[in-house]
Amino acid sequence: MQINKLFNFYEKIPFSYKTSFLIFVIAGGMFTIILLSQISMYALKNDFDFLFEKRTKPIIKLEIIKDTFAINIYDTLYDVQHKNITIAQSRDVIVLGQQLINKNWLSYKKTSLIKSEDSFFITELIKKLALNTRATHNEKLQHNIIKNIDRKIVLINQKINTIYILFSQKNKDEAILLIDKINFDINSINIYLTNLTNYDLNLAIDEKIQTQEVFNILSNILNISIFLVFLFCILLSIIIINNFRISHYILEAAIEDKTKELLKLNDTLANKVKTEVLNSRKKDIIMFQQAKLASLGEMISNIAHQWRQPLSSILMIVQSFQVKMSLGKLTQEYMDEKVNDAILLSQNMSNTLEDFQNYFKPNKEKSLFQISDCINHSLSLAKYILDQEKIVVSLIIKEELSTYGFYNELSHVLLNMISNSKDALKNKSNNKLIKIVLKCQNNFIVIKIYDNGGGIKQEALPHIFDPYYTTKYKSAGTGIGLYMSKQIIEKHMNGNIKCKNVYYNINKTIFEDCALFIIAIPIVKAKDE
Amino acid sequence: MNRNLNILNQFNILYIEDDKSLLKHTKDILDDFAKEVYAVNTSLEALEIINYYTVDIIICDILLENENGIDFLKDLQENKKIFIPSILATAHTDTKYLLEAIKLKIDHYIVKPINVKELLNTLHDILLPQIQEKELRKNINVIKTISAITDSKQVEIIKYMIANLDDKNQLFTSYSEIMEKISVSKPTLIKLFKDLSAKNILNKTAHKTYFFDEEALNSLER
Repeated sequence: MQINKLFNFYEKIPFSYKTSFLIFVIAGGMFTIILLSQISMYALKNDFDFLFEKRTKPIIKLEIIKDTFAINIYDTLYDVQHKNITIAQSRDVIVLGQQLINKNWLSYKKTSLIKSEDSFFITELIKKLALNTRATHNEKLQHNIIKNIDRKIVLINQKINTIYILFSQKNKDEAILLIDKINFDINSINIYLTNLTNYDLNLAIDEKIQTQEVFNILSNILNISIFLVFLFCILLSIIIINNFRISHYILEAAIEDKTKELLKLNDTLANKVKTEVLNSRKKDIIMFQQAKLASLGEMISNIAHQWRQPLSSILMIVQSFQVKMSLGKLTQEYMDEKVNDAILLSQNMSNTLEDFQNYFKPNKEKSLFQISDCINHSLSLAKYILDQEKIVVSLIIKEELSTYGFYNELSHVLLNMISNSKDALKNKSNNKLIKIVLKCQNNFIVIKIYDNGGGIKQEALPHIFDPYYTTKYKSAGTGIGLYMSKQIIEKHMNGNIKCKNVYYNINKTIFEDCALFIIAIPIVKAKDE
Repeated sequence: MNRNLNILNQFNILYIEDDKSLLKHTKDILDDFAKEVYAVNTSLEALEIINYYTVDIIICDILLENENGIDFLKDLQENKKIFIPSILATAHTDTKYLLEAIKLKIDHYIVKPINVKELLNTLHDILLPQIQEKELRKNINVIKTISAITDSKQVEIIKYMIANLDDKNQLFTSYSEIMEKISVSKPTLIKLFKDLSAKNILNKTAHKTYFFDEEALNSLER
């Protein structure tokens, strides 16, 4: 439970805190490892140094003392006994030996009696904590041995002095006897020294064991801390990986959600696009119809204008019969004349109708036709309005061209252009001109339509082919004509239509503000589109 | 209202119309009624006619070739100071010119296609006052002449009577009243009243009330 609580609490800590905590732990562990390894290295070196300085060196010194006793003193005395050397010579050797022994003995005592204060405090601490320092090295024993050795040395020195006194007194036998005793003493001192050496060796072994134990403890601590650091490292990486995984899952889920949303959106967009496309197609159809209606209206007004005059005449003729009759003046000749006139007039009307009927015929059949015919026909259809506005049209055909396509559609476009020019020219008082040029350019039929109606306003120029864009009053323009013209030229005839303002020379007069519409359509030979 | 279209044969008509066919057929009809019909296509020809002949009425189409009928009439009135009664003929779509036409005090306005009866009636209505004026002048002269050669007192009394007739042709008067106005003897007055009563021209309907019978006057003439 406690662990669970802790774990829960830990879970609730923000990710960054968790990681920084773990990093702190790892850093601490690393630091501990480094510190401990440094310490153990230092301590071990210290111990080895100590061992060498305090244990090995004194043993060597003790050995030297032993040797000195054995060689310098014992052998010299032996030589003296057997008269191998002179007493004076032996005296020098023994004095030298005594001096050596004293020196080494003093330095031994100095080193072994000084407390080992210089040992490292942490090893000391570990020793105190971990080891119950077995008092194997009985200091009293050491002191006793040292005291004995001191006494023996003093004794041997006294005896040697006594020997040399005896020799100087020529008391040779007593001296030789004494030498034997000294030999005995030397032997016993050697035993003491050996004891001391043993003691020191034991001490050294003890200390080695201690060092070993300290080393073990330190290495254990090291291992533990390495293990801990390792553990925390793993823990950290697990946490990090886990966190990554969790965030990955969260992100993945989020992405999946978003993807689903996007897919949905995509679907709705696709539907929307579909409906919009349908709508726009419907709109196009409606616009086509509107344009057709608009042109229909125009054409009907044309027909009306063209019919009005003959109709008036015919009406007049009909009424004249009534009037003549009432006056009793209705003669056969008069009747014949008037009827003939009426027939001519009605034929004229019928022809007019036929012309327009051709224009409105939903002519879905493509045909090969002469462009100039189409232009002329269009002009004849628009004749009335052009005459009414007193617009002079000049048509220049540089080349007779024919193409395979929809006659009526081109006628429709041309009529639209003429109608626009007429509207532009309406407000001009005089000198209203339209010039149409037909020529061939780069295998394209090019129809240029100029008018001196003031040109197109600069701000209107980019929008002129946009649907429902009109500069005219609402009653006058629907804003469809040019759009439909562009559609017809571009989509049905694979051509293009452009407009610009130009300075142009019409009938030897230069006009500054002329609008120019250029229709370019490819020449199509029959049926091989 | 019955119009006597025969009165038109006293007048010269100038007809300006740019549609030659219509011009011809209309002229053919008008010829039967008018004294003379001058049918022209342009205002220039029309001006020539006006300068050389007497024109009593102008019928003018608004839309002429290269010109405007209203402008022509305006020029005639304002610059040439020629005031001739005029009728504008127009297609009904040309109503935008109406305001200008009204300013010019155009006499009438007919819509094309022309209804012949309407045209003739219009001509009659416009020309009638001229006829009537002539007639009036004639009658005045007749009366004046009669009064010059007959008893002027009787004419004076009849003038007074007719002048005092009310809307219903009734006269409220008495002998003494008339005698106060006109110095005439009572017997003459009584005789005159009797004569008129005998011919059913002036009948006494009540006290001091007489009815003047126009019908009786007409029957007298025949």
